[in-house]
Amino acid sequence: MKYLNTAWSIARHSLRENYKNRFFGLFVVFAGVLIYASLLAGVMAVDEEARVITDLGLALMELITLVYALLAAAAAITNEIKTKTIYLVFSRPVPRAAYLAGKAAGLYAAFALMLGVMALIHLSLLYFRGFVLPPFYLTAVLFIWCKLIIITSAALFVSLFATSTVSTVAITGILWTLGHFTSEAKFLIIKSSGAAALVLKAVAYFIPNFQLFNARDLGATAPPAAPPGFLAGYLLLWLVVPYLFSLLLFRKKEF
Amino acid sequence: MKRTLYLVLPLAAALALAGPWAFLTCARQFPPADKIGTVRQGAVEDAVALALGVRRLAADLWFIRLMQYYGTPELLEGEGEEEALERGENGAGKYPDFLPVARHILALDPYFTNAGLYAAGSLAFNMARPEEAVSLLNGALIYRPKEWKYVALLAAIGYSKAKNPAKVSELITPLIMEPDCPVMIRQLAAFLNKRMGNYSAAYRIYKTIIETTKDRFYIDNARKEMAKLEKMKGFQY
Repeated sequence: MKYLNTAWSIARHSLRENYKNRFFGLFVVFAGVLIYASLLAGVMAVDEEARVITDLGLALMELITLVYALLAAAAAITNEIKTKTIYLVFSRPVPRAAYLAGKAAGLYAAFALMLGVMALIHLSLLYFRGFVLPPFYLTAVLFIWCKLIIITSAALFVSLFATSTVSTVAITGILWTLGHFTSEAKFLIIKSSGAAALVLKAVAYFIPNFQLFNARDLGATAPPAAPPGFLAGYLLLWLVVPYLFSLLLFRKKEF
Repeated sequence: MKRTLYLVLPLAAALALAGPWAFLTCARQFPPADKIGTVRQGAVEDAVALALGVRRLAADLWFIRLMQYYGTPELLEGEGEEEALERGENGAGKYPDFLPVARHILALDPYFTNAGLYAAGSLAFNMARPEEAVSLLNGALIYRPKEWKYVALLAAIGYSKAKNPAKVSELITPLIMEPDCPVMIRQLAAFLNKRMGNYSAAYRIYKTIIETTKDRFYIDNARKEMAKLEKMKGFQY
């Protein structure tokens, strides 16, 4: 219970920190402007305006939150180490596991808030243009958040051994693109042989498969990639395993 | 430390198994990368779209390009823009890139039904290239085998080749009842009804076109046709 209370306090603090971050505000404004720009693109699509506005808005929401997520996750712990704030935290009886869990939970909550605000702006624009809520919209936003949870867990882990924020962002950025390439990797594996095929298989098997959660790209008519139970389990594993590995690394650090 | 390790190992093993399981068993929702043919300078753009998981948005952008391409009159040698506009008034023309771009859109997003219907309808009925339309629809049906709209349009193209406008009109009627039916199909239905003497049905469809589309060309044409019908002797709506 004490562990949960500590984690909860750190999560709240982390969320507040993100909320007060100037970048956070800027990204929300930026998203608003860009989503408005999607209206202009929508006009060019004539009778497919609703579809284009929906797709452009959802893609922008995901990419903007991703940029913020990578930067925030890469700096969440390393900044506290650099500024030595972490010494103050650990001068109290704070378990490292609770600190790490709280930091991660705060980030996930911040992204949920950010996505929520952008979704509201986006839906308001759709509403004012006289379009109805697309049937897959809420699933798409929820799955964007799931993808962000996975990449943030990975980024927190990478940030503990990477040499700088930039390298963490670069590594997790590559992971993000590879994770969307998994279905294309199948095609490449068939076409290649020998060591190349082995490397490709390893990459395809052991990187997070973001395509499983890409409801935004599937729309309302495409079949789901996997049953919901599997998706939930997969998300949970990608949440817990990087956390435990991070904890192993974090415990070795001396503060 | 040891307790964490005991937790990490089985969970990491589970994750290591979940990856291959997902990779090998999950449904393949999109065509393989080799089906996305390079159209003009689209290769880099497509690679970015695949890497960021934004195939649907890429398909949208290509659809806008297709409409812009098809909406631009083709100038023949020594021909002015007005003459070209007049010649291509009903969407006629060669438009050699039309089929590759349409295929490209459906390879990026095979669930973009309206793009498939729009492209196939334009190829079959406006550009008199029914074979290309049929091949496009057959390709689209691989990923959407239960899409009745494609099947209905395929049948309509078949009857159009057999010069049976009544059957074509009958087959596309359920399509035009759909709220998101491409305006081009509605225009075709109105035209066929007018040709067969079903003036009130044609009038009704032209009215729907005005109410549902934002495309200036189709709205102007529908107004013109409605005015012509209203002037006809004994026409009653």
